[in-house]
Amino acid sequence: MNEYTVFHTMAWPSAYAIYFFVIGIASALFFFSALSWFREDYYRPLREKAFYASFVLLAVGGLLLIGDLSQPGRFLNTINPAYMNFRSPLAWGALNLMSFGLVSVLYFFMMRKGDAVNSKRLAVIGSLLALGLPIYTGFDLTVHQHRPVWSTPLMPVLFVGLSLLSGAAVATLLNQGDEKLASALRRLMLWSAGAVGAMLISLLGTTAYGGVGAELTFMFLTTGTLGMIFIGVGIIAGTALPIALLLAPFGRQQVGMMAASVLILVGGMALRYSILYGGQILQTYY
Amino acid sequence: MTQELLMSSTETRGKPGVRRYAMVIDVRRCIGCMACQVACKAEYDVPLGVFRTWVPYRVTGKYPTVKKQFLPRLCNHCDDPPCVRACPVGATYKLEDGGFVLQHYDRCIGCKACMASCPYNARFMLPEHRTYTDITKVVDKCTFCYHRVIQGLVPACVQTCVGRSRIFGDLNDPNSEVSQLVAKHATQVLRPEQGTKPHVFYIGADRNLTDYGRAVYKRDEQADIERAVFNRNKHI
Repeated sequence: MNEYTVFHTMAWPSAYAIYFFVIGIASALFFFSALSWFREDYYRPLREKAFYASFVLLAVGGLLLIGDLSQPGRFLNTINPAYMNFRSPLAWGALNLMSFGLVSVLYFFMMRKGDAVNSKRLAVIGSLLALGLPIYTGFDLTVHQHRPVWSTPLMPVLFVGLSLLSGAAVATLLNQGDEKLASALRRLMLWSAGAVGAMLISLLGTTAYGGVGAELTFMFLTTGTLGMIFIGVGIIAGTALPIALLLAPFGRQQVGMMAASVLILVGGMALRYSILYGGQILQTYY
Repeated sequence: MTQELLMSSTETRGKPGVRRYAMVIDVRRCIGCMACQVACKAEYDVPLGVFRTWVPYRVTGKYPTVKKQFLPRLCNHCDDPPCVRACPVGATYKLEDGGFVLQHYDRCIGCKACMASCPYNARFMLPEHRTYTDITKVVDKCTFCYHRVIQGLVPACVQTCVGRSRIFGDLNDPNSEVSQLVAKHATQVLRPEQGTKPHVFYIGADRNLTDYGRAVYKRDEQADIERAVFNRNKHI
């Protein structure tokens, strides 16, 4: 080897990918629970179940995020007004996460009390904050202008799409045979999987035809182990196959929908993992 | 004719009344002795496996006409630093007078956003154990030897450079050696397309060294072995 190289480490490990995954599902599930106040005919069976699952996942996500800090005890610095840097998406993310947690707790009490008026109000506020979670995680990546696969305006939208898709998949698994709900979730999964697929194609296109860094990132993302995870598990098994399954007559049955949901969840995790890692491999050599 | 500078609010180069320190690295004079790397390690108790400055090289040509090309690397103390923007708690900041990009170690939460945002990979996580200091498990990087410069000294790597390849000074002072070198020579900066306005200038750097090499994709077995050996020191 005719080189002396300092090998850099990846800044963000797989804990971040798991965080993106659980927080995406948590926000979508809260949205479905909130929707149940306005579309009772479809989403009512999900109200409590989706909320509880959302809250548990929110707690898991928060702990993952804190646990990944090399100084976990200092996580309170992120909400210290004297330290807060509003130019960083992470600062907005920390605020969003805390506010969402707070609104979720209030929503829980109002829901338990049966206070429909305040529950509805909190459902709307919580849904907006929930929407902010995948958006800010996308922005976390987008702002790194030198990481080819991350630095695209598509990223926050892709994360919203992935959030809806994974959330609908979990909601399908939570559904206990309600046909109207199943039909609504099936439509949602089809539309969001289609949108995610279209975004992934454009992401691959712009990465493949970028500069040398983008081209190398494309090659890392499409070959070897990461290629298998991104293309094989994420795009083919986790996006294209569920679409085909849901369009087939089998996909209208509960078993078919559950099979599609499992595939979507595995694919959703694979996509987040490979996008997070694909954007960082090159830096370890530079 | 007056010359108007396009400056953002964070930039200090060309700003009247403030200093703007920069480093010029004359690659033609670098002999690859790694004394800068060692001096930096000694100055800051930099642990094994991480570097504030490092000197990667590549051997080019075909035997017997081969040549070693060096490209000393360090934090570029950008005028528009992405790491300052990325830090959620303001642990990374830029000094108005001098342009140093520095770190509040007691504030850093270790989220590694600055590491992800640096186009030059100049930042690293300090390992859990260090020999002489108790600053650990936070992100660190080159400080342009701020503590030395405010005492009128030059950075440790500049002080020790055998071939006088590294030159340090105030770019806003037209009489300084760095501003004269930058004015007289064709200089290169790393990844100018990122818009970070780096303040480490190279003279005689090879473009093939300053960009991503396509060869990294076809990494051979030896590279993987070297990486494994290198990474063994990461957790010391």
